[in-house]
Amino acid sequence: MNDILEIDGLGVTFSTETGDVPAVRDVSLRVRPGETLALVGESGSGKSTVALAAMGLLPGTARTSGRVEVDGTDVVGASEAELARLRGRTASMVFQEPATALDPLTRVGAQIAEVVRNHRAVSRSEAAREAVELLRRVGIPEPERRASAFPFQLSGGQRQRVVIAMAIANSPGLLIADEPTTALDVTVQAEILDLLRRLAADSGTGVLLVTHNMGVVADFADRVAVMLRGEVVETGPVEEVLLRPTHAYTRKLLAAVPRLRFDGEGDTPAPDAPAPAAPAPDARSADADVPVVRLRDVSVRFGRGIRAVQALDGVSLDVLPGETVGLVGESGSGKSTAARVALGLVAPAAGSVSLFGTELGRTRGRARRALLSGVGVVLQDPVASLDARMSVAECVAEPLRTHRRGMSAAERRERVGEALELVRLPRELAGRGPRELSGGQRQRVSLARALVLRPRLLVADEPTSALDVSVQRTVLEVIAELQRELGFACLFVSHDLAVVQEFARRVVVLRAGRIEEQGPVMSTLLRPEKEYTRRLIAAVPVPDPVVQRRRRAARRTGAAT
Amino acid sequence: METLLYLTRRLLQALAVILIVTIVVFCLLHALPGGPARGILGPQATAQQIAAFNHEQGLDRSLPVQYVYYLRDLVRGDLGTSYTLNEAVSRLIEQRLPKTLVLTVLSALVGLLLAVPLGMWQAVRRNKPTDYVITTLSFVAYSTPVYFLGLVLVMVFTQSLRWFPSQAPQGDTLAQVFADPAGLVLPVVTGAASMVAVFSRYMRASTLENLSEDYVRTARAGGAGRYAVLFRHVFRNSLTPVIAMLGYYVPVLFGGALVVEQLFNYPGMGLLFWSAAQSSDYPVLLGCVLVISVATVVGTLLADVVQRVVDPRVKEGRV
Repeated sequence: MNDILEIDGLGVTFSTETGDVPAVRDVSLRVRPGETLALVGESGSGKSTVALAAMGLLPGTARTSGRVEVDGTDVVGASEAELARLRGRTASMVFQEPATALDPLTRVGAQIAEVVRNHRAVSRSEAAREAVELLRRVGIPEPERRASAFPFQLSGGQRQRVVIAMAIANSPGLLIADEPTTALDVTVQAEILDLLRRLAADSGTGVLLVTHNMGVVADFADRVAVMLRGEVVETGPVEEVLLRPTHAYTRKLLAAVPRLRFDGEGDTPAPDAPAPAAPAPDARSADADVPVVRLRDVSVRFGRGIRAVQALDGVSLDVLPGETVGLVGESGSGKSTAARVALGLVAPAAGSVSLFGTELGRTRGRARRALLSGVGVVLQDPVASLDARMSVAECVAEPLRTHRRGMSAAERRERVGEALELVRLPRELAGRGPRELSGGQRQRVSLARALVLRPRLLVADEPTSALDVSVQRTVLEVIAELQRELGFACLFVSHDLAVVQEFARRVVVLRAGRIEEQGPVMSTLLRPEKEYTRRLIAAVPVPDPVVQRRRRAARRTGAAT
Repeated sequence: METLLYLTRRLLQALAVILIVTIVVFCLLHALPGGPARGILGPQATAQQIAAFNHEQGLDRSLPVQYVYYLRDLVRGDLGTSYTLNEAVSRLIEQRLPKTLVLTVLSALVGLLLAVPLGMWQAVRRNKPTDYVITTLSFVAYSTPVYFLGLVLVMVFTQSLRWFPSQAPQGDTLAQVFADPAGLVLPVVTGAASMVAVFSRYMRASTLENLSEDYVRTARAGGAGRYAVLFRHVFRNSLTPVIAMLGYYVPVLFGGALVVEQLFNYPGMGLLFWSAAQSSDYPVLLGCVLVISVATVVGTLLADVVQRVVDPRVKEGRV
């Protein structure tokens, strides 16, 4: 059978104001009908560029060389009109961000019908009927009614289903999925992957899956191509590449992936995780039992009237000195809100918050500031959480300026330098702007800022979610090491159960603003008591195709019963 | 039901805004030195005559009392009587407002009809000669004073080419105004020039922003051609923020009318306002300001309602 996608010696160069930047060099790939090829690599490896090149969707600043053929049609030299005939019919694409991938002002049914009518001469009403049928196929409940919904009225997972419905509207031979589940919760991710797998199997569609998630690769792919700095360094069947990688980079990449351990995992060896942070040194036993943060029956509501959202509902949790507590749950479960309550940024509607034994709600002014100076914070987005107009030194010095007003400039400089060294950044970076740093470096600057006051509690809200796995690994290691050195406690918010399992000692599982269950990581995440936690764990794909196949089968039968 | 609630709330807000505007203008006018009596009665008037005039017009009462009386009359539809023209202000507005509305609404329509496609064209041809030429012309049009632009147009189209008359249609009824469409051309074009300049910039920026949105890529990945994407998706998404700006542009349009009406001798609200300001004709000035503020408030309200209709997210408070 002929290949549906054939890429030979593809090169892509972007011309920028500062000169030409090669993004992809000499990449050769093929996808056969009915087969899924996963293209993996870290950010900047050029994997998305390859995907866009296959659709002829690269921006005007890109120059393409080599050969790309979709079902025998050349894409590189094709005119815009030829490409338009190809796109949506022979080759379709599913994008990463379902929140922005749909036209906000057009009803979803109309957007699907548009793709149908782009390629087939059917009447408006016929196309609308097909759109409803497609919505049914991708598993949207009440498709007749949902067809007239606007994208903002749907959840993220439903929006992604709509994008998939658009992609399969004309039964394409090739489906290109660029990080199709990265923006979604694990449980939704599992459903979307199931859907894509079923659709591909039903119609014999070839799939090019672009992802950074090795678990998704293990779950979905038949073959894997690993990209590094614009080149493919290793290609092979999924079992070979994930279990017996030959290239050093692939091995390094796989070693950096946090692996979820689960009950009955059998033959998989225990991952060499960094040791969980040491408990509080007993020397400071005087206040060792007083939790650094204590939430008691905390409730938070956002908004008023019928639109009000109960973000937290009777949440009680403690973080003891020196310990790390992981806060997990799906998006909207209230985990970030709980972190904000601990930071004093959100006042609870009911219940009490204590920091270091003092009730936050009873303090005002200077006392409140002094109390809050004992808490440092690292947030998710390394770009948005640093002021682009401040230098690294100014960013790190800001807490000192706020809480240590009497400090001399020289001493402040010294403390900033120390903090930078603490997070393993050279002091010379102090004069740079955040823009000049990489994502991992920025996140370490955030960490330096959080630690410059030597806090007793670090609140980390998804500190590594925006980072590549290898960078995530180093940032987590820095936090763990500093925790052993400095002995601060950590409230660690993450959607990634594997990271929490490695990093935290206790875990709190949140669901819709309530605590579903909590306990030591090793018992709660290995033998969860609640169905919800079990479902969360089952939905996480592990980067081992053999194990993952077994888990998927188990999940399916579990869902059937 | 929800829409009804929204409209009621917005109308109440609008009333409050208009009330505040009348208070501010009332105070400002009475803070002017000299007062109207000197302007009306002339420099020869004695102190007694001035006192008598002030008493007759109620100007010797305290400001709050005067304001309350003014408001009471206003509710009855009585805007007072002009000091100089000896006619009810409401009657004057009734005569003049339709003519100004013809001028401003036509200017706005012509302006928008030119600005929206121009802005989109610029966005599509970004950083190419077309874009640069239109951008330059926009800045010229925007930075040229309206009266100067009007004079240049008269020079070219009346004196040299003899295409259009230099005088706007005369006559008091709308029928008479529309009987002379050629006479409307230059005033409307003069009024529309800055509108085209400003709104083509908005439209250009808005279109550029939307062209880089993810949904454009999705539509193209579905096989939509360049123009299909532009007209089916980008156009509507780019237009909504521009509509929102329209409401705020109403006072600018009225301000422009003031000059245009002078220039083309078109007796509308602008000329009325101009002469009233020169003779300290308080009731007329207040009436004019009231009309303009009502027009502005109604304009923004309409823009918001249109936006609610075009963009369903506005209703849900998601934008």
